[in-house]
Amino acid sequence: MRIVCPFCGERELGEFTYLGDAKPKRPAADAGEDAVYDYVYLRDNVAGPMTEHWYHGGGCRAWLKVTRNTLTHEISAVEPAAGAGAAKVGA
Amino acid sequence: MAEFSWDVRSPLDRALIAGSYGAQGDAGVSLTEIRNFDLVQVMARRGKAGEMAKAAQARVGMAAPETPKAVDTADATLIWSGPEQFLVLSKGGRHSIEALGSVFAGSALLSDQSHARALISISGDKARTMLAKLSSIDLHPDVFGVGAAAATSMDHTSVTLWRGKDLADGQAVFNLLVFATFAESLWHTILDSAAEYGVTVGHSEELA
Repeated sequence: MRIVCPFCGERELGEFTYLGDAKPKRPAADAGEDAVYDYVYLRDNVAGPMTEHWYHGGGCRAWLKVTRNTLTHEISAVEPAAGAGAAKVGA
Repeated sequence: MAEFSWDVRSPLDRALIAGSYGAQGDAGVSLTEIRNFDLVQVMARRGKAGEMAKAAQARVGMAAPETPKAVDTADATLIWSGPEQFLVLSKGGRHSIEALGSVFAGSALLSDQSHARALISISGDKARTMLAKLSSIDLHPDVFGVGAAAATSMDHTSVTLWRGKDLADGQAVFNLLVFATFAESLWHTILDSAAEYGVTVGHSEELA
């Protein structure tokens, strides 16, 4: 598997580290225990396209948001994660 | 009590012994460690990439690379190292962290890497063939020309790789910056990979 880093170009999988689902958003401070429990522990088991965070630690050290089909490993989109490259993308 | 005596020496001081290694005959690979350089990491403050670029332009007369490239100025090389960050490589304190501090004040964060990296310059007829064993980067001249750079990994070790100016005889030069503590390990890997082509090993104080 290869990932096309938006900063470096096409690189082998070994340069990247997988974090996991990019969908969970940190709940507000007053959101309650259930929302926090959901955010910390519960994950969807997606069969199909999924957005994930990957870290290009063996290269430019940027965090990436990768859309990958978990059934075929086909990668349909790669973009910088929020905050990558200091100012390139918004939240 | 013993007095500490700090002895500044290269991270490859023990591993590098100048001479010829591997296959006999004309050496296919030449390895030169460059010593005593100034290296500063420059990273833009959030939202200040434009100001950082202007500051770099004013200081060295060259825009900092925004894509994986290395650009030579009169007395420094600017090497892309990631989004909105680059390395300044120079000699003799002209662009040391002390000299650059005021230049990038307010626009970028600086970190002195002069003694944190080892710089290895690789050339020779078989340099590309040897590097192909270690790197997954396409180093074909059409793809990785003079001034091309990459933040990548070799032998599971993060490196900054860029192509310097060709030698007078037209041979390509590949420069490699590696973390000081990983330098010895990578050096042995490079030497082993190059042995079948014959290797000349040395060190220099001159930037390639």
